[in-house]
Amino acid sequence: MKFGFEKRDRMPGYMRILNPVIFVILALAFCGILILTLGFNPLSVYTKMLKSAFGTGRGLSQSILYSIPLMLCGLAVSVAFKMNLNNIGAEGQYAIGAFAATAIVQFLPPMPVCIQLPVMFLVAIIAGAIWGGIAVLPKAFWDVNETIVTLMLNYVALLVLDYVCYGPWRNTTLTVPYTDTFPESAWLPNIPGTNIGIGFLIAIVVAIVIYLFFRFTTSGYQISVIRNSISAAKYAGINIKKNIIIVMLISGALAGMAGFVQVCGLTHKLQPNLPNNAGFTAIVIAYLSKFNPLVVILVSIFFGGLTTGSYAVQISGVPSQVATLIQGAILLFVLAGEIFTRYKFSFSHKEKMVSANKGGEA
Amino acid sequence: MKMRKILCLILALVMVASMAACGSDSKQPADSEAASGESAAPSGDEGSASADLSSIKVGAIVNVVKGDGGWCQAQYEGLTTAMKNLGMDVDSQLIFLENIAEEQSSVQAAVDQLVNEGCNIIFGASTGYAPILSELAPSYPDVKFAQAGDKVDNIVGYQIRDYEAMFLCGYTMGLLSDSDQMGYSAGMSEASVRRGINAFALGAKAARENATVQVMWANSWYDIAAETECANTLINMGIKYIGINASSPAIPEACQAAGVYCTGYHMDIKERAPKSVVTSFIWNWAPIMEDIITKCAEGTLSTDDYYFWGSDKDCAKIAPINTDIVSDQTVIDKVAEMQDKITKGEYQVFAGELKDNKGNVLVNEGEVMSDQDILSQMFLVENVIGEW
Amino acid sequence: MSLLTSILASTISVAVIMLYATIGEIISQRAGIMNLGLEGIMLMGAVSAYFTVVHTHSLALAILTVIVVGALLGLIYAFITVTLQANQVVAGLAMMTFGSGLSGFIGNSITGVAANLKFESLPIPLLSKIPVIGKIFFSQNLLVYILYVIVAIVIVYIYKTRPGMTLRALGENPGALDAVGINVFALRYAYCIVGTILVAMGGAYMSIAYSNSWQEGMTGGYGWIAAALVVFSAWNPAMAVVGSVLFGFISIIGNYMQAYFPFIPVKFVAMLPYIFTIIVLILTTGNFRKKHTEAPAALCVPYDRESR
Repeated sequence: MKFGFEKRDRMPGYMRILNPVIFVILALAFCGILILTLGFNPLSVYTKMLKSAFGTGRGLSQSILYSIPLMLCGLAVSVAFKMNLNNIGAEGQYAIGAFAATAIVQFLPPMPVCIQLPVMFLVAIIAGAIWGGIAVLPKAFWDVNETIVTLMLNYVALLVLDYVCYGPWRNTTLTVPYTDTFPESAWLPNIPGTNIGIGFLIAIVVAIVIYLFFRFTTSGYQISVIRNSISAAKYAGINIKKNIIIVMLISGALAGMAGFVQVCGLTHKLQPNLPNNAGFTAIVIAYLSKFNPLVVILVSIFFGGLTTGSYAVQISGVPSQVATLIQGAILLFVLAGEIFTRYKFSFSHKEKMVSANKGGEA
Repeated sequence: MKMRKILCLILALVMVASMAACGSDSKQPADSEAASGESAAPSGDEGSASADLSSIKVGAIVNVVKGDGGWCQAQYEGLTTAMKNLGMDVDSQLIFLENIAEEQSSVQAAVDQLVNEGCNIIFGASTGYAPILSELAPSYPDVKFAQAGDKVDNIVGYQIRDYEAMFLCGYTMGLLSDSDQMGYSAGMSEASVRRGINAFALGAKAARENATVQVMWANSWYDIAAETECANTLINMGIKYIGINASSPAIPEACQAAGVYCTGYHMDIKERAPKSVVTSFIWNWAPIMEDIITKCAEGTLSTDDYYFWGSDKDCAKIAPINTDIVSDQTVIDKVAEMQDKITKGEYQVFAGELKDNKGNVLVNEGEVMSDQDILSQMFLVENVIGEW
Repeated sequence: MSLLTSILASTISVAVIMLYATIGEIISQRAGIMNLGLEGIMLMGAVSAYFTVVHTHSLALAILTVIVVGALLGLIYAFITVTLQANQVVAGLAMMTFGSGLSGFIGNSITGVAANLKFESLPIPLLSKIPVIGKIFFSQNLLVYILYVIVAIVIVYIYKTRPGMTLRALGENPGALDAVGINVFALRYAYCIVGTILVAMGGAYMSIAYSNSWQEGMTGGYGWIAAALVVFSAWNPAMAVVGSVLFGFISIIGNYMQAYFPFIPVKFVAMLPYIFTIIVLILTTGNFRKKHTEAPAALCVPYDRESR
């Protein structure tokens, strides 16, 4: 008898959903062992996290509140990944979006709400798109690795926030670096009856639009062709350069939108390090969602819950880093579990396996 | 083959897990060290506290961890000391949340947790929470909030007259220095940091008429490489006496390696670099926190309160001068004399005539700077070289 | 002159942080495995080194722990990317998140604890007496000297030895190696593990040689910069030395600009190293030049015998 992996043509549908779930549970089990070694009962820790994050109305709304920028950044990253573009610069595009929206408040006189918010919205997404565009132009024209460029631009963008918050835009009544609070005409309303910003709805609408775009439009189809095979796309006469730029502009715009939603919907002011790692967490989210925009929303809420839930278990002494640990472990395990979408375990005689493999190759 | 690899992986996981297990062992020393760090501070309010303190639950949030060897640790020690002095049980009456980013949604979620746990008073123990807590406070009318640093609407503010002790640090260095050129390695340009720089420079000037202080910004609150290089830059410029405003031990270590001297920040960090640290600036938050908690229990805490206590209440302190470095008793005596004057209010740090380093007069001869200007520090004094 | 010497000496000590990670990543990428999780691995290296020093007061044990931890992380990463053939960009980011989370988790108890034991600077007897050069290169600590040796070995190994040729082929054309009976999987595992150990050493250098402390996220982006330096160096260890020294120099020069050109805002000066990296990256790898550098052909491509 020999144990090994055997290629399979296509995973049954229910397994494609079940597979990641199984590996998420394994990841939680792994982290559970770590929690256990610190002397805590992992089951009660997890229950407490879940309960405080999703079990109460207030908890749920905090988790959603936390996850709104994660959603938009997650969507931004997924869109880029759809074409094998590694946008790890969502953090910076988010920051620049927030910066640009704030610039409107800083430089222009207050306007009526119905003008102010759309202007800020537009400026934020354009700024995000430009920041994404800067990163991708070298890629489109000279084939420069976009991963590193997007990454480096994160640092620059965060320093821009630092500069304005510590410098010209600082709120002089405070000793800590924040800008003045925006006039109320620049505040996004909450969803009536909740304390969740309307940004949540924006994120959902955007997710649906992206879903429909990739499902039903020609451009969306072209992008998936490019993802699968650049040579096939070239053969089909698709302009790859143009598509790379367009996708990255959209991606940057979405991350910039996160900046707008956050400053107008929640903080009502700019501060250094506003993104608070959302751009990086978004990559994890995008991948776990398999770049499906609707799933991005759900995974973001789950991740938001992990963070807010981690505060609850901290009270009983569990280290605060537990949330990051779980996020990383989940991604590692799900990634490892991927193999089962392409292979299946087999216990068979060697000869048999080889022939099965040959069958798969044909 | 595959089997072996999977076995390896399992082995790997077990080893990582066992490493984390070791992690739990070390928790004890860190905690006990933190608890014993501060001696009990004298307090005049103990007798008057008639309120029931046993039912008070204290919450606090910080942006790093309680054992960070810096700001958060000082806050944590202040709280625990205060609570012990008041006869409260730290284990059951204090909830101290760490790693709460200075960002709205994180703070909101954390405060919600604390309120759910029944906290009566919540300390925003990192300065960056000020505007966020100010807006959140009205939605929790039954809970009192206290914020380190700024005085903002709806919540109690507290800050220490850190400049009084920072002045002494600069004064000590000025007395020791054989050159007029001194340095200061600073984190980010916030008011408290500029206050430290200015006080250090004024202290140095009080000791040496022509002393100047070169500022070097690390541009970070905690970046070992940046801080080390800041210190090295100052050292390479020929500066031998350096003031510090940074949390990591990087600068004292760099100073010790180069054989130059520095002052510590946050707490007595002599053990980190015994051949370099002359003295340290020390926060003592306990008296303020004791008062806040007591008043909260009595129900007399007003959201208009702002605590700005200094060396007269033993809040701004310096560590005993390192006698391995300073052998000259007259220096120690002079510093003690100056400390006494400041404590009694006979010597004002920000007193006229005071100019900034652009030549503007900040305080006229014979006048003293207002607390508001002392808090906002929108200047660097005359003998500071650098921009903010 | 002495000022410049001091600046260069500091430059070396900063460059070493990045160089360990860059050399490690070059080895790994030469073998066809991209690992963007450098930041997380460095943090794990830093925390395990400091943790061991705090609890055992032994630097030798600390290095041993770092090697074991690095090897384990490398093993996990190789398992995921070589055996399970996962997307390497994402796997790297997972490694980063996992590493920073786990290091924070483990390091929670030693944050702010003073170990007071590190690799002190150790001037090499005769060499350190050489004017200028002695102070810059030979008045450093042991981990720096070890890196000198490692760099020399890696350069010779990659370009002058047979196994080195195999390593290069591993990232260019693994199928050809397989055809002559070389075990591609085993080699990739090996190089991934060796590379990861070096990356972890970079973190350890930070916590027990360059400085002597642990703080969550203390690597502060050096892991990412190392990833950029790999591309910058065109996968050539000698160029990696140049790149990390140049990067270190630019970030240090920023401090002097503060002192001598105070009118330039500090934050702008701080942007310089990143902008510099982007520009250099475009100049060296952009295909508008005829002789631009290219990544190993099989980088990020999992080797699959069946689709050979």
